[in-house]
Amino acid sequence: MPQNLTVGVLALQGGVVEHLNLLRKAAAHIQSSSPESLEGLELAFTEVRTTAQLTQCSALIIPGGESTTMAIVARRLGLLDPLREFVKVQHKPVWGTCAGLVMLAEQASATKQGGQELVGGLDVKVLRNRYGTQMQSFVAGLDLGFLGQGEEPFRAVFIRAPIVEEVNIAAEGGGCLEQGGKGPPVEVLAVYHGGEGQKQAGEGNGKGDIVAVRQGNVFGTSFHPELTNDVRIHVWWLRQVLDAARHGKLVVNGV
Amino acid sequence: MAANLHPATNGTGNDDFTVKAGLAQMLKGGVIMDVTTAAEARIAEEAGAVAVMALERIPSDIRKMGGVARMSNPEMIQEIQKAVTIPVMAKARIGHVVECQILEALGVDYVDESEVLTPADDQFHVLKSDFKIPFVCGCRNLGEALRRIKEGAAMIRTKGEAGTGDIVEAVKHIRTVNAEIARAKAALVAGGDLGIAALAREIGCDTALLKQTAELGRLPVVNFAAGGVATPADAALMMHLGCDGVFVGSGIFKDAETPEVAAKRARAIVKATTQYTDKQALIEASIEHGVAMKGISNADLKPEEKMSGRGW
Repeated sequence: MPQNLTVGVLALQGGVVEHLNLLRKAAAHIQSSSPESLEGLELAFTEVRTTAQLTQCSALIIPGGESTTMAIVARRLGLLDPLREFVKVQHKPVWGTCAGLVMLAEQASATKQGGQELVGGLDVKVLRNRYGTQMQSFVAGLDLGFLGQGEEPFRAVFIRAPIVEEVNIAAEGGGCLEQGGKGPPVEVLAVYHGGEGQKQAGEGNGKGDIVAVRQGNVFGTSFHPELTNDVRIHVWWLRQVLDAARHGKLVVNGV
Repeated sequence: MAANLHPATNGTGNDDFTVKAGLAQMLKGGVIMDVTTAAEARIAEEAGAVAVMALERIPSDIRKMGGVARMSNPEMIQEIQKAVTIPVMAKARIGHVVECQILEALGVDYVDESEVLTPADDQFHVLKSDFKIPFVCGCRNLGEALRRIKEGAAMIRTKGEAGTGDIVEAVKHIRTVNAEIARAKAALVAGGDLGIAALAREIGCDTALLKQTAELGRLPVVNFAAGGVATPADAALMMHLGCDGVFVGSGIFKDAETPEVAAKRARAIVKATTQYTDKQALIEASIEHGVAMKGISNADLKPEEKMSGRGW
C-alpha cells in the first residue's frame, strides 16, 4: 500500500493554479529522472481553503497574491491558527512565494495602516513592496547555488516584491528561536544584486537584497517561480518534501 | 478555478509581458473596488480588496451627472496611493495616450482604458504594448478581448453595464466569451490552423492569439468580471461563470449612509468572491451586505445611455 503524500496550495486568493501546474510538472520530472524517490508514495496536489483540507496535507505552498487580503480572508475562515500549528508546531514543509513569504515572516514592515496578521515561522523581518509600484517590477537572472553547481541562472519574476531585510530576529512569542531557543538558524539562499540603483539615496549597502531564505521546514522566495515554465525550484522543494517523508519526519496520511 | 495561464501570454514571450500579466495573476480570486477618496480606499483595503480603482466619481454618479468623464485628478490619485499598500489602478479614456502617460508617470500599478469614461478617440484604442505600465481593458466578446490583448492589454474584464447595478450585461459578456472560446476549440479540432484562421477573420482578431486561446481553453490573460456587480450573490455568480475575480464599481459606496455600511458591503463582497462555492458563506455575506443599491434596469436604458457600446 503506497502512502499518500498530499501537497496543498493555499487557495484563498492569488497564483494558485500556477503552483499546482508546476508541482505536477515537477512530480513528472522526478518520476522520469529518479523514480526510486517516489517509490511507495502516492503524490497528490490539492487546493486548501479549509482547516479540514489543511489537515490532509503533508506540505503546503502559500502562493503569491495580496498578503493583506490573504491575512484577512484566513482570519475570517479561522485558518490562521491551524496554519501556525502546521508550520511551527508540526514543522511540516512550507514554501511561500512573494505574499507567501510575507505571511511566513515573523515580522513585516511597510504594512498597511494598523499592520497585518502573519503566520510566521521564519525568524526574519520582510520589507513589503521593496522596489516600489508595478512600474518597478522586473525579471532578473539569479544564480541559485542551492539548485546545484553549474546551473543556468533562474529567470526570477519580481512583482511588487518583498525582500528579507533582517534575519535571525528575536521574535516576540512564537518565533522558532524563541521556542526552546535552539531552532535552526535562517539560511540565506539567494541574493539579488541589481537592486542598488533602485534604492533610495544612501540606502544601498553593497550586500544586495535577500530574496530567498530557508529555516528548517520553512522556505521563502521574494519572486514567483510559478510565473515561469522553469520547474527547477519546484523539483528541488518537492525532493525535500519527499526526503522528509521518507525519513519519517512527516506525518503522512494513511499510515 | 480555470486552467493555467501561459506564463507569457500575448504571443511575445517576453519578460515585460510576464511582469504585466503576472500582477493580474496575483489578483485572481479577489475583488477590485472603485474608490473616490483615501478614506474609501482604506475601507476597501481593510475589507480585503486586492486592489483599488481610483476615480473621481463612481460610475452610477457619472451616469447621473452626465457631461464628459475624464481621467481623475492626479492629486486625488496620489492621496489614495499614499493611503494604501495594495495596488492602485486608475482609468484613462479610450484612446487617450496622454492620460495613460500621466497615469504611468504617477506610478499607478495598472491603467484601465475604460468605456466608463468618455472615449477620446473614435478610431483607435491606445497601443498598450508601448507602455511599461500594464493595462486592463473591457470586452463584450472574444474578438474584442483578443484585439485588446494584441494591442498589449495584460488583463481583461467584461464590460457589463457600469453604474447600473444590473448584472445582466456582465453575464451576457462572459457567456459570449465562453461560448466563443468553445467555438475556437472546436474550430481547432475540426479545421486546424485553417479553421482558426477562418474564425479569426469572422470575429476580427489575431490568428495566433485565437489559436493560443483555443489551446488553453481560456483567455490567455486574467479575466475579471465588471459592470453591474451589486450584491455578494452577483459577485459569486460571476465567479461561478468562470471569471478570475471581480471589479465592484458603484455597488459598495453608492448610497452608503455611513462608512460602516460601506465597510460591511465591501467585506460581504470579498467573502462571497473568495468563498463563492460555499453556500453558508453566501448566506452570511448576503445578510451582512444588507440593502443593495437601487440600480437601473439595463432594459430601461436607451442605446445612447449604454457605456458598453463604447470601444470596438
